[in-house]
Amino acid sequence: MRLLVLVVLSVALMVVDARFTLLKPVRSQMSLVLMQSYWITDLPQRLWQGVASQFGSRTELIAENEKLKSENLLLQGRMQKLASLTEQNVRLRELLNSSALVNEKVEVAELIGMDPNPFTHRIIINKGERDGVVLGQPVLDARGLMGQVVELMPYTSRVLLLTDSTHSIPVQVNRNGLRAIASGTGNPERLELRHVADTADIKEGDLLVSSGLGQRFPAGYPVATVKEVIHDSGQPFAIVRAVPTAALNRSRYLLLVFSDTRTAEERANDAAQAQESLDAQGGGPIIPATVPRPAVVPAAVAAPAVPVTPAATPAATTPAKPVAKPAAKPTTTAPAKPPAAQPAAVKPAAVKPAAKPPVSAPATTGGRE
Amino acid sequence: MVGVTASRNGWIVWLTFAVGMLLSVSPLPQFMEILRPLWLALLLAFWALALPQKVGMVTAWCLGLAEDVLYGTLLGQNALILTLITYLVLALQQRLRMFPMWQQSLVILVIFGLAQLVQLWLSALTGNRQPTLALVLPALVSALLWPWVSFGLRGLRRRYKIN
Repeated sequence: MRLLVLVVLSVALMVVDARFTLLKPVRSQMSLVLMQSYWITDLPQRLWQGVASQFGSRTELIAENEKLKSENLLLQGRMQKLASLTEQNVRLRELLNSSALVNEKVEVAELIGMDPNPFTHRIIINKGERDGVVLGQPVLDARGLMGQVVELMPYTSRVLLLTDSTHSIPVQVNRNGLRAIASGTGNPERLELRHVADTADIKEGDLLVSSGLGQRFPAGYPVATVKEVIHDSGQPFAIVRAVPTAALNRSRYLLLVFSDTRTAEERANDAAQAQESLDAQGGGPIIPATVPRPAVVPAAVAAPAVPVTPAATPAATTPAKPVAKPAAKPTTTAPAKPPAAQPAAVKPAAVKPAAKPPVSAPATTGGRE
Repeated sequence: MVGVTASRNGWIVWLTFAVGMLLSVSPLPQFMEILRPLWLALLLAFWALALPQKVGMVTAWCLGLAEDVLYGTLLGQNALILTLITYLVLALQQRLRMFPMWQQSLVILVIFGLAQLVQLWLSALTGNRQPTLALVLPALVSALLWPWVSFGLRGLRRRYKIN
């Protein structure tokens, strides 16, 4: 009798929990107490790390310091370049009349537990609702995208990793912009690209970055590198396997990405308004037409042979100050540079820097690995 | 009279459950994750055999809810499973007490295996499909651990005269 009541009760609970958000407060209240157990089980490791850092030998610390310094120098060097590239990117986006990239804020979180179920790839981090974490928030580590927040608790949250078999992420081949969907396989070292045509231009070693199409992950973060592409004539699609760039089962410190809180609709409205104001100003309607998307691909192929001319970068970066009146300025500066002012001359000047990020990005990530 | 005996050192039972909960989320090496024994179920089985008047299906259900919150599964999933395990143990209680240890282990294996099967169905319903045979491994490991858990807890019970 009691069994029957309890069974019915649990089934009812399961249905309610699956269908409605009624039980979310109950769950978060319970987790307030229960999630401490993850913290407690993590304690020995934490203590061990504390002890290890206490007794770390001087030479080791000096060596580590040296290493960090050189790493810092390298990163600083890259940052210098990044500043000009960002500037360039903003200019080009203005040229294209597309909305500016939002600057994402990140916050460091620490992993405090793994999901005990070996068939799901989920981790628990020490930041929760009270820290401003939201559902669906992307999580990174130093090397790439790791996953997204799927469950919020007051001071902790659960993160679904990319490699979970229920997870998929829209990606793009960094080399040529080919779009695909990377699905988790349940293997921590493997993602699979679904439904990639046999003739698609994708090959071993390609970097896959997030495309931002799913409205969930920010665009442009490295996701995986292609490990093998199998063309099986018996299969309708190519089998593409990739290895996540993030150290999914090794990273202890993660980054939570806080992008803008506007919804997709608000973003679209803002973009439309910006567009309207541009049109009112009389921004050249020719300019979007001169840089069509396919033009990028041949330029990307040619780019290694043609280094970005120093003349092109200052031209693009110098008029960066007046952000308020975009598109009008570039039209004047770009034709001014080549004496023969033709739309054809605008195209290479604009396209070459556009091809630059795809070329440089694999180099940077390659250096990090 | 009954109240006095019932409350004697009862906190130790709850302490073991707390420890069991910690064990069930403690980090393990990757290859051992798949073998993680069902600690809460083991403890519940023991206490249901030893103190059936104190630990029953309601306790199991509450612990199951706690486990659901810990694991992030649907509320009620593990509660249902632990309730079923406790029910089966209580139903076989008279026989189980008479059995030698290896036979008890065998019965535990069967009960936990059934429970894992239900677990598989429920996870399949919620969309998390899992490899079928690997799911029996925790039941097997739990059955192998049963004698040790049983001896240990019996010692604890004698020591503190838990009633």
